[in-house]
Amino acid sequence: MRRVGLTLVALVLLVALGAPWLAPNPPDRSFPQSLYAPPTAVHLFDGSLRAPFIYQQRLISRLERRFEDDESRRVALRWLSDGRLVTVPEEEGPLLLLGADALGRDIFSRLVYGARASLALALVATLAALVVGAVVGAVAGYAGGVVDDLLSRVTEFVLVLPAMYVALALRAALPLVLPPPAVFALLAVIFALLGWPIVARGVRAIIVSEREREYVAAGHALGAGPWRMLAYHLLPSTTGYLMVQATLLLPAFILAEATLSYVGLGFPDSVPTWGTMLQDAANVSLVGRAPWMLAPAAAIFLVVLGVNLAIQGRGRAPVQLEP
Amino acid sequence: MRLSRLGLILAGAGVLAAAVVVLRFGSSEAPAPPEARRGGQIVASLRSEPRSFNRLVSRDYATEILSLLTQGRLVRINRATFELEPWLAEAWESSVDGRTHTLHLRPDLTWSDGTPFTSADVLFSLQAVFDPRAKSVLASTLTVAGQPITGTAPDAQTVVLNYAGPSGPGVRLLDNLPILPKHKLEAALADGSFASAWTNTTPPSEIVGMGPFVLREYQPGQRVVLDRNPRYWRRARDGGALPYLDRIILDIVPEQNAELLRLQAGDLDLTSSELRPEDYVSVRDAEDQGRLRLIELGVGTDADAFWFCLKPEVKGRDPRFKYVQRPEFRKAISQAVDRQAFADRVFLGAAVPVWGPITPGNIHWFWPDVTRYPHDDRQAQAWLGSMDVHPRRVDGVAADAANVEMRFTVLTQRGISWYERGTAVLREELAKIGIVLDVVPLEVGALIQRLLACDYDAIYYRPIATDLDPAGNMDFWLSSGSAHFWNIGQKTPATDWERRIDTLMFEQAAALDPERRRQQFNLVQQIFAENLPVLYFAAPRLYYAHSMRLRGVVPSVQRPPVLWNADSLSVVN
Amino acid sequence: MTAFVARRFLFAVALVFVVSSAALLLTRLAPADVTAELALLAPAEEIARTRARFDLDRRPLEQWGIWLGRAGRFDFGDSYLYNRPVRGLVLDAAANTAVLAVVALAAATAFGIPLGMLAGSRGGLAAAAIRSVSLVCLSLPPLLTSLLLVYVAATTRWFPVGGMTSVGALDARWSTWLADVAAHLPLPALALALPIAATFERLQAQSMTEALHQPFVAAAAARGVAPSDIVVRHAWRVSLRPICGVYGIAIGTLLSGSFVVEFVTAWPGLGRLMYEALRARDIYLVAGCAAMGGLVLAAGMMIGDLLLAAADPRVRERGA
Repeated sequence: MRRVGLTLVALVLLVALGAPWLAPNPPDRSFPQSLYAPPTAVHLFDGSLRAPFIYQQRLISRLERRFEDDESRRVALRWLSDGRLVTVPEEEGPLLLLGADALGRDIFSRLVYGARASLALALVATLAALVVGAVVGAVAGYAGGVVDDLLSRVTEFVLVLPAMYVALALRAALPLVLPPPAVFALLAVIFALLGWPIVARGVRAIIVSEREREYVAAGHALGAGPWRMLAYHLLPSTTGYLMVQATLLLPAFILAEATLSYVGLGFPDSVPTWGTMLQDAANVSLVGRAPWMLAPAAAIFLVVLGVNLAIQGRGRAPVQLEP
Repeated sequence: MRLSRLGLILAGAGVLAAAVVVLRFGSSEAPAPPEARRGGQIVASLRSEPRSFNRLVSRDYATEILSLLTQGRLVRINRATFELEPWLAEAWESSVDGRTHTLHLRPDLTWSDGTPFTSADVLFSLQAVFDPRAKSVLASTLTVAGQPITGTAPDAQTVVLNYAGPSGPGVRLLDNLPILPKHKLEAALADGSFASAWTNTTPPSEIVGMGPFVLREYQPGQRVVLDRNPRYWRRARDGGALPYLDRIILDIVPEQNAELLRLQAGDLDLTSSELRPEDYVSVRDAEDQGRLRLIELGVGTDADAFWFCLKPEVKGRDPRFKYVQRPEFRKAISQAVDRQAFADRVFLGAAVPVWGPITPGNIHWFWPDVTRYPHDDRQAQAWLGSMDVHPRRVDGVAADAANVEMRFTVLTQRGISWYERGTAVLREELAKIGIVLDVVPLEVGALIQRLLACDYDAIYYRPIATDLDPAGNMDFWLSSGSAHFWNIGQKTPATDWERRIDTLMFEQAAALDPERRRQQFNLVQQIFAENLPVLYFAAPRLYYAHSMRLRGVVPSVQRPPVLWNADSLSVVN
Repeated sequence: MTAFVARRFLFAVALVFVVSSAALLLTRLAPADVTAELALLAPAEEIARTRARFDLDRRPLEQWGIWLGRAGRFDFGDSYLYNRPVRGLVLDAAANTAVLAVVALAAATAFGIPLGMLAGSRGGLAAAAIRSVSLVCLSLPPLLTSLLLVYVAATTRWFPVGGMTSVGALDARWSTWLADVAAHLPLPALALALPIAATFERLQAQSMTEALHQPFVAAAAARGVAPSDIVVRHAWRVSLRPICGVYGIAIGTLLSGSFVVEFVTAWPGLGRLMYEALRARDIYLVAGCAAMGGLVLAAGMMIGDLLLAAADPRVRERGA
């Protein structure tokens, strides 16, 4: 089970890293003849066994979204050319492995590029949450007394708030449409703000128990200052816990980004992320005839499942804290 | 869509008979559908909650629909034929100078609560519109030659209206005025609380009207329920009472996706607006399965507009402005866009190319002979070249001798798929002549704020005209108007051609002869086409769907497409 | 015990105060205000009037003070979007969300706990199957589940596609109305309940396994108590503690998750209302929703704590 989970996560990471190579088309390239086009089927058989090929797609009616495969024109797939794994020459029709969206953009390419955006954001936010949480927790645990009390109260307070509402309110408080880099930074900050209390609470507990150990007393006797104690001796004992927390926060942040983008408060539609792609799937009657538009939902599911499978052997059941 | 000249003149003469001395009698006969059965209810959808039940103070769409269903007017403009029909007034005469109109009300009419309907109610409504404390949104619509319409009532069945000057639309203006009950709202008008008189917390029994339906119940956030008005004045052709339906329920469904789902599932009979192009195919499937009826309403009367802010006070310092403000620049853009490809890509082929603000859907005012600039990239580049702007060799971006780039940001409303497609197509087409567009989607509130402040380079948006008659859209045409988008609210016209349009518009608004009005407005359209302050590319064909059980549907290209004629709707099971 | 309740009550008041004030100030400081959409159509005086009506012409702190004063009398101002007092709107919406949350929680408990007991006390195929299903459900966030369920409902038409009531239940009696709401409930409740049920199941299974390894269980078995009795009457009570601890967090999760579900299934609840209010910058509605949200949260936590105290005597003794 764990191995399946780890493989899934590794797969997604690889896809995200190799997006420019894996994607047959640029993610923002729109093909005017292919609005809402269905996936181009890859064939191996045409009377006899051949190298993988597609038939060029012909547009019959835009309004009725009718396309036809032109069976007289066979187009062989080109491998490892143009800096891409697999592609098809420009004039002979786009290779749409998962069809095209409302603007004629290749869904598969956007999906793999979307992995980048979603994962990058989740990673940055997780890192930030870990750093902030570790520092706050360590200070609270080590200092004790009033400082500990105060920080613990704040931690408890933020922990109690429903994450989605806070994210919504914070995001909506700023200009509703921002350029993509600004959105990235803003979402990373908001997620970090929501994630650090969980980390801080655990770190504080560990530091509190470690504080009583002999080596700490020894260090004090030798004249080590508090920051040195924290940095070199106490915090390293939390690394195990931090790694577990990271694996919990990552899928939660991916989901949070997807939710915010889905309701229109995340990335703008031009940026391919899984959340913005799900916006197209909001039109359920559309999806009824074009179920491939739910691909980002499947991608999110696979990531979350992978993480859950990978950590389920570690004892504590993972708690789904974010929608 | 080219109508022949003769057809246009005949149609115009038939329709714009308002300012001619006319005697019209007879009841407004409802065309009786052959299978009209009495009883039953339908469910329609509203996109938002009604802000008020008083059309005089609130201009939102939901209030408009409720007003159509529960209130009556003196005359009605038939939304399918655009003819003026007698309504609460069964006949009228106009003076030769067009300044006095005498309307004869139908006898023996009563309000939905039984109180007799008299001319006092008409005068009351007029008074309420111009009451300074009420601050009615209809005041500007019913202002002629800068003065409010005034009226007197020689007897209970007659109203004499006085216009301060001749008015082209004439009696047609009264289609905008719902007649409100004096006995219910008199007190509120007197003590100054008229503006908050009929809100959504008012008990339904207080909301009295002359319309085919009365308010039965309002469930906040969910629906509005209307029952048939047993005292409705209109009769069917066979003399039977109208409306046929017992009840109309307006479900509040804020999201268009959910609305479509409910329509397909059979929970709704009617939606609040036309279909989006991408929804056509799933509705077509539903039609093939016999679950829905798909109808084409016609060519829309509004097209997506693209314009630059031309306010010299704000843009004067911008080095690009000296090119933007010249018509050659806009002509270049107009010729760089292949409008047929635009229609194909933005509206999935369901659109017609247009070159001006009046589309073929506005049958009586559309002039097919307006100058059109055909698609010609070379000519477009020549226009730019005539201003000494050429594409740079290094990257193809057009720039002048001082290397000022022709790069502009375009604001548009986010979340609308055809705006996204439209701006994408524009960006591609204009890149061919070296003009670079950066599209910035915004929330509609932010967009409008920046529009009003001229805080933008260009905007791509579809403003909805409230009236098909240009005299009802003076705010757009007049340089001092609040909807004169490219340069709002000018104290004096900034350009010569805007001054000429101002003059022509005032003339045509006051001209009584419909042919003369048409000629003057054609001139306005021509001046507009020569200077191109706003560019139009394609007007969508509008599609609509309703359930199979609905009968008596007379579709209109204006909103609401079917409910405007609610008293003649019926259902079969 | 009274000290505990008093502390929790104070916490609730503080929570509501901070959350609603923050929401009010955030919305006030946000760019654009409620009149932005009006601006194109309305004359300047109408805009000015609207701004005055919502105290937008005063400074933010001043507006906050006015709002606090009125809130003390339970008057939360008016909503621009719905043209009604905020109090009624928010109460209705909170009631709808509460219905959804309670049903989802009940469903999650009814499914998660027994299945967890089963998986924790037996081994073999049943336990493995339950564990796999749980893992899958855990990975199905409400966003995806609700999209999927709406799609299924639309194509199969077994369930109404969205909303809370449908048209037919208008003139009807209580029983019909109840049946109508009940027909609309499964979709959103299921979407919300699945991950929580899976969490409960996993937690219950684990703590049941741990409890069964305790010495007192061996002692009971030696005494001859039947295995099913051991599980249900002895081990279970011990294994409940972690679950009760989680119940408090589950309330928070429900509120969070309910926003998405309400959005997708058009359930007229608090989450949806807050979203619309935030979008439109309807300032008093935002503050009202935040206050109500804080209240519901605090109430949920209180219930969770009480449950924990009931299940774990150590908590009671210590005074929490």
